[in-house]
Amino acid sequence: MKNVVRPVLGPDTLLFGIGNCGRSDDGLGWAFLDRIQNETGFNSPVEYRYQLQVEDAAQIARMQRVIFIDSYKGDLPGGFRWKTCTASENFEFTTHVLPPRGVMHYCKTLFGNTPRADILMIQGREWGLRNALSDDAAGNLEKALDFFLRNILYQNDRDV
Amino acid sequence: MNTPNRKITIDPVTRVEGHGRVTVQLDDVGKVERARFHIVEFRGFERFIQGHPYWEAPLIVQRLCGICPVSHHLAAAKAIDQVYGVDPEDLHPTATKIRRLLHFGQVFQSHALHFFYLASPDLLFGIDAPVEKRSVGAVAGEYPELAKMGIQMRQFGQEIIRALAGKKIHGITAIPGGVHRTFDPEERDYFLTDNETPSIDTMIEWSKGCVEFIKDYHDKHFAWLDTFATYPSGHLGLVADDGALELYDGRMRAIDAQGKTTLNDIHADNYLKYFGEGVEKWSYMKFPYLRHLGRQNGWNRVGPLARLNVCESITTPLADAELREFKAYTNGRPNNHTMHSHWARLIEVLYCAEAMKELLEDPTILDVAERPPVNRRPEGIGIIEAPRGTLIHHYKVDEKGSITKCNLIVSTTHNNEPMNEAVRWVAQNVIDGQQEITEGMLNQVEIAIRAYDPCLSCATHSMGQMPLILEVLDADGNIVAEHVKNAT
Repeated sequence: MKNVVRPVLGPDTLLFGIGNCGRSDDGLGWAFLDRIQNETGFNSPVEYRYQLQVEDAAQIARMQRVIFIDSYKGDLPGGFRWKTCTASENFEFTTHVLPPRGVMHYCKTLFGNTPRADILMIQGREWGLRNALSDDAAGNLEKALDFFLRNILYQNDRDV
Repeated sequence: MNTPNRKITIDPVTRVEGHGRVTVQLDDVGKVERARFHIVEFRGFERFIQGHPYWEAPLIVQRLCGICPVSHHLAAAKAIDQVYGVDPEDLHPTATKIRRLLHFGQVFQSHALHFFYLASPDLLFGIDAPVEKRSVGAVAGEYPELAKMGIQMRQFGQEIIRALAGKKIHGITAIPGGVHRTFDPEERDYFLTDNETPSIDTMIEWSKGCVEFIKDYHDKHFAWLDTFATYPSGHLGLVADDGALELYDGRMRAIDAQGKTTLNDIHADNYLKYFGEGVEKWSYMKFPYLRHLGRQNGWNRVGPLARLNVCESITTPLADAELREFKAYTNGRPNNHTMHSHWARLIEVLYCAEAMKELLEDPTILDVAERPPVNRRPEGIGIIEAPRGTLIHHYKVDEKGSITKCNLIVSTTHNNEPMNEAVRWVAQNVIDGQQEITEGMLNQVEIAIRAYDPCLSCATHSMGQMPLILEVLDADGNIVAEHVKNAT
């Protein structure tokens, strides 16, 4: 019996790439979106952000699912980490920093809907002024993409 | 925290961008000896951009800051216009209007974000409210309609940016000597009617409501607002030829704390003649000052409060009426009350809304904006009023068109000395001599800084998130108390 692999993310899933391609590995989130759009059959909506903003809650609240992709400064076994994002009012806000759990909190309190939310963190190493990923980050991006394609975008019979 | 000989450090100052540090040095009997606001991280954007072709500058500088990329884009574009060979008055009128609309959209959304999401927790819950209560999360929970209004006002400005730049991030509106594109009628009409984004008329109504809110708040809390972090200072901003408030292109005017003119409507090209930049070994952020007044006396506040102090009028009727009331509060003298920055900021929100309506209803904004022919020059200076204050971009270019020198003086840098003064005020008036340093006291240091809405990322020309610290040090330099709120 042939195992049929099909994309499970549709237009009701929103991907947010967070970062800055002008600051080396901080561009991992954007690079992920570039790759996923250019090299796969991915056709869900995507958004590029320097950082999340309060108004993103309105957009997210209309979706069924949201996935945040961001670079990570610490060590991650295997170079990336996938985790569930839960709405929380316990966050610090600056005009320049709003964490995913904060945006989800706004979805819940202001728009009455908290779609399923996950975060894909990809480990970076260099954060200086440079329009390219470090070799380490590029390798971690490949691993994260491979995981995403195998387990999230194209899914067989199990939920991740 | 009951030991004398302490130094207080806040790291990070929350709801402020940047990696900085506030230190309060106490002496043997708990009196404040010194209070400083430091910047402890630096990455040289000015050096990074050297070697790039001049026409790339308006694109690259957007990466300085994710919050005010449009301000950097436009300041750089104005400078690069001159390298291309076009002065502001020679830009096609439609190009100027498109750029102004973009700028008003940027200031509008930035001010709305500051008021609804940075200032409102302190205003709605009080400075001594429990820390878990004094948060934007709590605002969303207890004042959801207010929080939604803030989101929609910000969205309006962002949609203006998206419509003109093609996208909210790394968009292109200004190009050397002109604009990349103009509106089509359908795009323009979207903002004149209520749809997914409320109309510009709704924005004006909401902006009026915001001004009424802050005036009512002043009536109830004037004793605090009229004294907290109040200190004499100079004020700097752009004005039009007739002295009206100007955000996109004007002349630089400064006044001292008594209202005497200290910089008389100079042209942008002359800024180097009048401005020096002091340095201190304890901070990476420079200290701009007027050369003829000296480092000690020549510093100025910039931003909404300063702009309303230096201007004589506002070109739109509702905001102009509010300006008159604002000025009457101090009997026409300069307003040196730091906390009145919020009032000034909301008057500017109203101005931006009215100005956007005028531009959106101007049929010539749909015209084709042709670029003048190139006539290269070796140098260009662009100055605009960014949301946080006067922003200066200065470039020199070689014969091949590569950037050889870049100098940026950003709003937060102008406000460096004023923020230090505000920190000193809180240290001396709130912390000095106290046996116990409470979280509420430390929050007041942050409130004083937040009134300026500093962007330390811009100020150090580095990029991205940089947290900030508040420390208490004893007379021997030991940290005996620390206030850390992780901004991530």
